[in-house]
Amino acid sequence: MILLQHIALASPSPTPASVPGANIFTSPLLMSLTIWLPVAVSLFVAAMPNPRGRYDQLMKQIAFFTNLGLVFVLFVAYNQFQAFLPTMQYEEKVPWLQAIGVTYHLGVDGPGMVMLMLSGLVGIASVLASLGIRERVRSYVCLLLLVQASVNGAIVARDMFVLILFWSATAVPLALLILGWGGPRRGSATWRLLGYWGLGTAALVVGTMALYAATGGSSFDMDVLLKASLTPRIQLAVGLVMIVAGATRLPLFPLHGWVRDVLSEAPPGVAVVVAGATTRLGAFLLLRTLIGALPAAAHLLSPLLAALAALTVIYAGLAAIRTVDVRHAGAYLAMIPGGVTVLGLAALSPLGIAGSVLSLFAGGVAAALVVGACATLAERAQSRSLLVLGGLAPRMPSLSWLLIIASLAVLGVPILATFPAELMTFFGAFKNQPIGAFAVAVGLALAAVAFALLLRRVLFGAPNPDAPGVSDASLGESWYLGLLAGALIWVGVFPGGPKIPGTDTPVFDPGLVNVMAAGISDMASPYVGPTPPAGQ
Amino acid sequence: MAPLAGFVLALSSVRTRRSSANLAMFASVVMLLTTVLVGWGLAKKSTPFQASYQYINLPVAFSGPANFQGFGIDIVLRADHLNVAALIVIELCAIAAIGWHQVMGRSEPGAARFYALVSGLLFAFAGVLVSWDLAELFTFWGMGGAVTYLLLAHRWGSDEAARRARVALALPFITDLSLLCGIAWLYARYGTNSLDALVPILHTNPGWTIRSLVVAAVLLTIGVGGRLALWPLQSWITRTATTAPPAASAMAQATWSVVGIVVLLRLMPVVFASNAQTLKVLVYGFAISAVVAGLLAVIAGEPRRAVALLGSSISAVGGAVVIHGYQSSTYTFAIAGVACMLAAAPARAAMFLAVSTISSAMRTDELSEMGDAWGRMRTSSVTLAGSGLVLALSALGALAFAVTTRSYLGVALGEAVLLVAVGAVRVFMGTSTGALRRRRAFEPDRVREASSGALGWPYLLVVAGAGLLVASLIRGWLDFIDIHKHSSPAVSTFLLWLAVALVGIAAAGFAFARNKDGALRASALAGSWLEARAADSAAVAERFAVGPATDLTRRIDVWLAAGEGAIGRFADAAGRLATAGSRAPAVPVIIVLTVVLALVVALLAPGVLR
Repeated sequence: MILLQHIALASPSPTPASVPGANIFTSPLLMSLTIWLPVAVSLFVAAMPNPRGRYDQLMKQIAFFTNLGLVFVLFVAYNQFQAFLPTMQYEEKVPWLQAIGVTYHLGVDGPGMVMLMLSGLVGIASVLASLGIRERVRSYVCLLLLVQASVNGAIVARDMFVLILFWSATAVPLALLILGWGGPRRGSATWRLLGYWGLGTAALVVGTMALYAATGGSSFDMDVLLKASLTPRIQLAVGLVMIVAGATRLPLFPLHGWVRDVLSEAPPGVAVVVAGATTRLGAFLLLRTLIGALPAAAHLLSPLLAALAALTVIYAGLAAIRTVDVRHAGAYLAMIPGGVTVLGLAALSPLGIAGSVLSLFAGGVAAALVVGACATLAERAQSRSLLVLGGLAPRMPSLSWLLIIASLAVLGVPILATFPAELMTFFGAFKNQPIGAFAVAVGLALAAVAFALLLRRVLFGAPNPDAPGVSDASLGESWYLGLLAGALIWVGVFPGGPKIPGTDTPVFDPGLVNVMAAGISDMASPYVGPTPPAGQ
Repeated sequence: MAPLAGFVLALSSVRTRRSSANLAMFASVVMLLTTVLVGWGLAKKSTPFQASYQYINLPVAFSGPANFQGFGIDIVLRADHLNVAALIVIELCAIAAIGWHQVMGRSEPGAARFYALVSGLLFAFAGVLVSWDLAELFTFWGMGGAVTYLLLAHRWGSDEAARRARVALALPFITDLSLLCGIAWLYARYGTNSLDALVPILHTNPGWTIRSLVVAAVLLTIGVGGRLALWPLQSWITRTATTAPPAASAMAQATWSVVGIVVLLRLMPVVFASNAQTLKVLVYGFAISAVVAGLLAVIAGEPRRAVALLGSSISAVGGAVVIHGYQSSTYTFAIAGVACMLAAAPARAAMFLAVSTISSAMRTDELSEMGDAWGRMRTSSVTLAGSGLVLALSALGALAFAVTTRSYLGVALGEAVLLVAVGAVRVFMGTSTGALRRRRAFEPDRVREASSGALGWPYLLVVAGAGLLVASLIRGWLDFIDIHKHSSPAVSTFLLWLAVALVGIAAAGFAFARNKDGALRASALAGSWLEARAADSAAVAERFAVGPATDLTRRIDVWLAAGEGAIGRFADAAGRLATAGSRAPAVPVIIVLTVVLALVVALLAPGVLR
């Protein structure tokens, strides 16, 4: 009965029939499906009988096909998504806690759709990366699905209360996954994750409550909270706490204390999810709340954002140069795309914001790839020490190529998705934040040095005779890393989607930059294109 | 598309050495024939062929200046005489390198990878040359950079190669970033990436400033200079000269010099729009680079490193001529710098391949340990002599057309040409004359000429280079590639510059003929002194810059951990206190707290403290 009522109240999608394949699949519950399907499957797996681990493989298969189905649904939704439309699509709105103005309000615009695609892709990669898990498979699969559900929830939430719930919910299954299946220092990693993310959640709660109070305390809906005209002082206060919330999650220097331990101690499947999807929520939050809703604060705080971006990239480059642990190096280098994303936000120009949205996807995939490649390499080489590893390229060619692609992706080399993202970010940033843009470029140069050292120490050179035996990536590992690399190449080659020759009609994919454009103009409306100063 | 198809096929299906080599050669030859066909079609036309396709077209704003409301990257393909000539030179270098590597690189690992990357490199270079959109240009430029790194780091199993290849990723990436920053800087001010749209508005767009154009000019020039391997940005080719596969190194050096100079010429309107001081600084920067690279080549102990430095010096001369061409009121002779590079590129590739053949046969990279190639490896030695001669004379036309001998620039560039001539003869005499001494595990009598299949390719390049050298002296060639009319300098000017090169050749020849060991010892002494200074500088940089910078991150980590520890201890203490508080009797605690608060309030109340 409740379900029927929910269906009746939910608004149907405004998806048009502008692309081939439109209206093949429509559902007013599409966004709910992305959240609750993994939860339902997780509950089903939790309740499944599994005598002596007989169905461990089946559970992994269930998780994989759940993710595959979810990505299929998302791909259909992506293809039906109306590009360049400045409004929310696939909206669902059901009153929930009416006394305090909470609604179960979901929906996506372009950046949200891009994030959902990222989450779906990383979800599949994480399950494939987890095929090697042998202990307590049921719990692992359940928790992994819950992580994905909470990430999807945080992406599609259009009510700040709902956002806070999903945002904070992400930390719990992740902490349990690291604590249960992590490396030798998993305890420290878990507590750091909970500490930093707890701080971020507290900051988000404070910021939300400030907005709630400032708008009359009637509703938590983003349409109310984020579209109210607030005084600059309130905007500044809320903006600062939102930066703290976003910086703990992304992470940005100096609130990055958890990243090294978590990404190096978590099992590869979990590290991929953390680096690829959950961390991008930090930048997504900044985009939604600071850039999209608090224009005065954004103007005041944009130099701070640019400084944080530059410090993050420079710090990550230097730390990766110094480290002698391949997983630590991967963890540090995974911070770099986040810095580039924030530089685009700090630019406060429509192009910079568009670049940062593309960077959300491309940077997420690149970060997942570099962390996953380093984690898998460390597992396959049976050592994490850069002092021990060496000359692995001839012995693990697949993994070597994937690590090289990951390196080039983080640096933003052409034909990879990070390149157009970086290009748009830099093009957008050089007007308003030239010093920040130069500093990020310096950081990228340091990252290139770090990659040169990493590749030389790990892949190239003579093999170390004292090192343990190595083997190339298994099929599952090749597939999950190949999937991420393939996505980077696909979007890098076809950012606007492949078209039928001579027409503007997409072959089957409207193109990521076209999809992400929906909603950007709305968010960027307070920031007009850079107007040159008066002539000399 | 031919090299792209070759690249994809080689990556996806071809595995054996022979088939991958044949595929790469086939793709290159098809590309060459197609380019010749395009050149034939364009030969009689003065307007370039241009076609454009949309890559990204994104509306990003609905208000503000119109040129910032949308962002687009168009794949603009523009073929003109210069592009076609440059592409043909690049293809010739690639074909010769592939042919040479098929024979001499049989023991190299990863054949399919190597040949696939060569096809990829050709595709990227074709893309750069036909690009008329700056973002598109950078896309192909970056692609070429990535492929070049992979080619230079090709010997995965060699520790020395891996160590030296680090610089091939890091240094050019930094200069490529400079190019990206320059392009982004321009876009942020003009809102367009198209050169056609950008150049006319450089001084008319609202808000243009000289300062912004100066910044753009410097960034763009550094970006191009890195790939031209100008001193002090040359170490990515000099450090990898002996550790990368010779074909890869030769190709990287020769082809990037052509691509770099064409792009420099294309970007010159932006550089020219900055101001006279900037142009002057850049010209003298290039001239200093030419002289220093020439000097380093004269004292280099490794012949392949010396060849790389000679090429770097000639690149700097060509670059200086291009910029100087724009310095004067009518910049008709900038193209002479490009013509110089078109002639030098095949010569430096040929010289590198020939000297690699000799090095390989004599099993040493030290010039002082080589000798008698003229007797034992006549063809390679002749190729080396020919290529050295072409390289030494390649700047002749550029200097005669564009630079007056009675200027500081003329003196500096003349000195560079003299040094290049000395360096080229030094490499030839060092390898080809004198006795080849017996060393440990090396028997000189076993040294013999390389297989005949490898000898023809460098020779072909020498012939091509000589042809282009002669062409660079002819006004009609400049008219053809520039589609502008030029006037010829006096014959005496040619003779004067020729004399400079001949003096260098004669001086080096005389010195080596008299006392080869003495000449090599003198240069080795200077080289070792310089290496010691370089090592000192590196140690100082490591101690005062790199070390503290990387140590900073360790300190930050320690500081963060300490901070977290302090927070943890505070939380723990607070928890213990709360636990203890919950166990304490409530009424006495409240009474104590009330008394304490009363005391505090009483003490702080007005009047008490006074």
